[in-house]
Amino acid sequence: MKIRTMHYYTVAAFQSFWRNRFMSVASIATVAISLFILGIFMTLVANLDYFVENLESQVEITVYLKDGATQADIDSVGHRLQALPDVKSVTFTDKNQAMDILKERMKDQPGILDALEGKNPLPSSYEVTFTQPEAVRRTADIVADYPEVEGTHYGQEIIEQLFKITTIIRWGGIALIIFLTLAMLFIISNTIRLTVFARRKEIAIMKYVGATNWFIRWPFLLEGLFLGFIGGVIADIALYQFYDFAVTSIHQSLAFLPMVSVYPFMYRTAGVLLIISMVIGAIGSTISLKRYMKV
Amino acid sequence: MIEFKNVSKVYDNGSVALDQVSLHIGKGEFVFVVGASGAGKSTLIRLLSHEELPTEGSVLVNGIEVNRLAKKSVPYLRRKMGIVFQDFRLLPNKTAQENVAFAMEVIEAPRRVIRRRVREVLDLVGLIGKADALPKNLSGGEQQRVAIARAIVNRPLLLIADEPTGNLDPDTSEDIVEVFKKINHMGTTVLMVTHDKTLVDMMNKRVIELDDGKVVRDEQRGGYDDEN
Ligand SMILES: Nc1ncnc2c1ncn2[C@@H]1O[C@H](COP(=O)(O)OP(=O)(O)OP(=O)(O)O)[C@@H](O)[C@H]1O
Ligand SMILES: [Mg+2]
Repeated sequence: MKIRTMHYYTVAAFQSFWRNRFMSVASIATVAISLFILGIFMTLVANLDYFVENLESQVEITVYLKDGATQADIDSVGHRLQALPDVKSVTFTDKNQAMDILKERMKDQPGILDALEGKNPLPSSYEVTFTQPEAVRRTADIVADYPEVEGTHYGQEIIEQLFKITTIIRWGGIALIIFLTLAMLFIISNTIRLTVFARRKEIAIMKYVGATNWFIRWPFLLEGLFLGFIGGVIADIALYQFYDFAVTSIHQSLAFLPMVSVYPFMYRTAGVLLIISMVIGAIGSTISLKRYMKV
Repeated sequence: MIEFKNVSKVYDNGSVALDQVSLHIGKGEFVFVVGASGAGKSTLIRLLSHEELPTEGSVLVNGIEVNRLAKKSVPYLRRKMGIVFQDFRLLPNKTAQENVAFAMEVIEAPRRVIRRRVREVLDLVGLIGKADALPKNLSGGEQQRVAIARAIVNRPLLLIADEPTGNLDPDTSEDIVEVFKKINHMGTTVLMVTHDKTLVDMMNKRVIELDDGKVVRDEQRGGYDDEN
């Protein structure tokens, strides 16, 4: 492609941008808002995934032993736990130790423990940690079937809830993405259609004098790419500012909440959004050209 | 140069525009196509430029079978022909010379060549003095000259005109036909559709008459009416 042709394309694209400035601005705004919402969803899902992963890696199982367990039973369970795959550490807590820990924790409210009248209802237990977060649930199911074991406990409810929420958000996000994409395609193709309409004479003449279809198509494609690109850049800047602010203020008030760090996550998300915006711009203009490109 | 072999054209709505037309037009000929309204003259031209495809038969331009042409080759076919219309079809926001140059720009001719060639053809059609005028400041005849200049600027082998003088007064029409004659003398085949009896009679060139989609007359040195 020749430099002068590029120049012609660029001039043509900017001319039509200016001629339809109202629609152009409306398209850019639609793209920017849609992509911003999309970006928020991507960020939300990424953070939820991150949160669940984080939680899972911290999860340990508490294996409660039956009250009548003998020392032999206790040792046998300990050996079997050690032998299970992906187990990192196994720590035993005697029922008396458990009582001491409870007393220590309750020393401000001694009255509560008086109600026990010296009895110790706490079971002996093993704390099991893992090298693989995926091993948690599997191991808990196996261990629960041991005859010496009363029950197991880990953060299963929370994790399962979180999984459900993430799945819902993910599906909602996909539905939203489809809807927003259609909206963006609709407005961009309508904007370009105005340009095509304004230039239909020119297009007809170009055809009669033997311009190739690609030569005719390029300025419109460029306009679509441009509308998408500007919308994408605005969305990127807004999302970056928003997330940067969110991470900072959440770290201040809820320091324990793990969040995906801004870099490199935001750069990747911004890149993805920009690519989406330009692809949509290109498709939008192709849609509106279709009618005028035959002959 | 041009050959129609048993060409029929039936539009989607069922109207028969051409009915078994066979024609041969040689290189460098000057041909008038006449006939009543709806006879199929414009259709004939649209088949040459691949704007419409024949329902039956084949159309050849410079040895190329137009109706079999791949879509992406159509632009290159059109570069071999210049087309002029009754309504000029100039771009209103471009000057005369920009309108002419446009035809070379879109086929990516070098800038230097464009500048030289545009002056050449504006000179040929007698409009060198109005090169920088916008179409709205030109008379109908002048606008048509610009359109002709644009049609020939890429040195087509064939110049096709569909009622080029339809909007012009008789004197201006004669001037326009003189321009066509000049172009024809330089070797370009000219095919001109017209309703203008005076012009056809004056020029004494080959006349093809269509009626109801059929060739009813083809005379080497004819007039507008069949006078035998
Ligand atoms: N795009 C079209 N769709 C359907 N029918 C058409 C189309 N174009 C032309 N026709 C029909 O085909 C026939 C020939 O039309 P054409 O335009 O070729 O005539 P013409 O000789 O150029 O007439 P005129 O002198 O009025 O320009 C007419 O009956 C016309 O109604
Ligand atoms: Mg006609």
